Amino acid sequence: MIGRLMRSATTGYVFGCNLPEPDVPRFGDFVRVPAQRGRIDVIGLVYDIVVQDDAFVRPLVAAGDLPEEYILDQRRNRQVPVEVSVLAVGYRLNEPDGDRSGYIQGLPPQPPVTLDVIAACTRDEIAAFTERLDFLRLVLEAPDAPGEELAVVALQRASAARLVNDRALFLREAGRQVARLLPRDLPRLERILRRLAL
Amino acid sequence: MALELNRVLPEVDLLSANAAERLAELSARLPSARAGLVEIGSADAALRARVQTALGMRWAGAIPTEEPVDASYPCPSAPARFDVLAADGSQIYPDRHGIALYYLINTGSIAFRHGSGQAPDCRTEPRLHYADADLYEEDGGQIPSFKIDADRDLAELGELVQLAGEQVATPTVALIDNGLLLYITLQSPNRGYADAIVEGYLAHLDALKAAGANPAGVVDRPRAASVVRLLRLAELGADQINDQALRDLGPYRHMTDGLLFADLAPGHRSALFEHGSPANQDSYKPRGHSIYLFYVRSGDTLLRVEVPAWVAQNPDRLDFVHAAIVKQGELTGGFPYVLMRAHEIAVVTHAERRLLDEALHTALIRRGLSPSISQKQQGKAWTSSAKQKYG
Repeated sequence: MIGRLMRSATTGYVFGCNLPEPDVPRFGDFVRVPAQRGRIDVIGLVYDIVVQDDAFVRPLVAAGDLPEEYILDQRRNRQVPVEVSVLAVGYRLNEPDGDRSGYIQGLPPQPPVTLDVIAACTRDEIAAFTERLDFLRLVLEAPDAPGEELAVVALQRASAARLVNDRALFLREAGRQVARLLPRDLPRLERILRRLAL
Repeated sequence: MALELNRVLPEVDLLSANAAERLAELSARLPSARAGLVEIGSADAALRARVQTALGMRWAGAIPTEEPVDASYPCPSAPARFDVLAADGSQIYPDRHGIALYYLINTGSIAFRHGSGQAPDCRTEPRLHYADADLYEEDGGQIPSFKIDADRDLAELGELVQLAGEQVATPTVALIDNGLLLYITLQSPNRGYADAIVEGYLAHLDALKAAGANPAGVVDRPRAASVVRLLRLAELGADQINDQALRDLGPYRHMTDGLLFADLAPGHRSALFEHGSPANQDSYKPRGHSIYLFYVRSGDTLLRVEVPAWVAQNPDRLDFVHAAIVKQGELTGGFPYVLMRAHEIAVVTHAERRLLDEALHTALIRRGLSPSISQKQQGKAWTSSAKQKYG
């Protein structure tokens, strides 16, 4: 578990967590949260991590030489309000229906509910979800998320979730998909492809 | 209909004018009050005799100690390594319009180890009370809120006892965000109940003393007039002392100790006084825990600090408490950091209360009950939620 849901919509959700660990959550991470009473897991991409303003911290920030005890108390013991915004890019059917794939790329039928538990996707889950790359449309068209940067980092994470020998092939296919989605935006396409080192 | 602020604003203006006028009036009388303190200096035999007479009339003023009453003492240096324990409590009072009758006391505490480089230890101790014996008086009435407050005060000091353990390893001050004299002694018409609570409180002070900790009650923005009462008493002739004269503060009406000591230099404390309150003299003092008080300028804040006799009468312990409190306020405008944290840990938010009630609702349904709030409460929920959404 990396956090609990604070608010949600079909297009995404925000969860709260303790101070970020070095590895989770990170920008571009794949995360999942149950919805529809566990019938689906909404898959999302972390696109913003905000450490909220905290009046108690202000006088400590102004202190010149802050003893370690205060720093540790603030970081380890206090419920520092950290909000993580997630863009919904698909969902997993936990009760596979006939010949439908376990993963659907698109907006979920219902958003998750307050206090639901957010977990980081495993490497296998990331690899399985990114077998198809239709989710890139939602990323590149997201009105609030930095779509270009998010697409690059998400594809790098998806590549890293694969066997070393499969990574180059995956990124080439991803590049083709991005080119199909941005046929009239060559500068943006070029920036993404360059970041993917294609 | 919301509060029609425009109809109150003229009175808000009058209120502020009144406050300014009162402060100006008090400030004009302040020099003579401070001069009165200087005049007393070290309390002489005549004043001490008057104090004894007044105590016999249940006078609640400040009793001078050996220190000159106008003295001011700079902040001693704090040890490089010391511990500060703090506890605070919050409560949910019984709500007869709620889905079930209960009350909750949540105690939050922190053990802060100055100079250790370690993260402080924090914990909470929630207690849910729902038995008939907890909720109802002998006459069948619902438990009054002041008894729950007393229970919370007792729990706070009990938490400090837990944190101190059997023996503290380093110099340790144990703070609560209140005076050390329980209000229950003033509020409860049931003397037996008040005595039982005070007995528990004194047992906790025994335990802290045995553990070597130094308890202190800290009051921010003190409104008491204990030293002001002493000033007034000093002006009365021996033959003028009676109940009426002791109640009347004369030229010091509305003046507080806070105003009197507002000019303390940074870090300085006032002289030490013994609390003249009847509760102190009747209950605490015979058990060796007579409460003493002093005022201290900590950062931008003037604090009233109450300590038991065995701290007050030991210069090393008194210096340590003084230094530790000032040190604890260095980063937080003067009020001890640990007390702010203890409050933060203890407080039960509206959201948490809602979650508790939801859990209770579910549990009652599992038992085949049909929990519901009163129609009055329902109405409040409807109207306040409408305001939140659309108002």
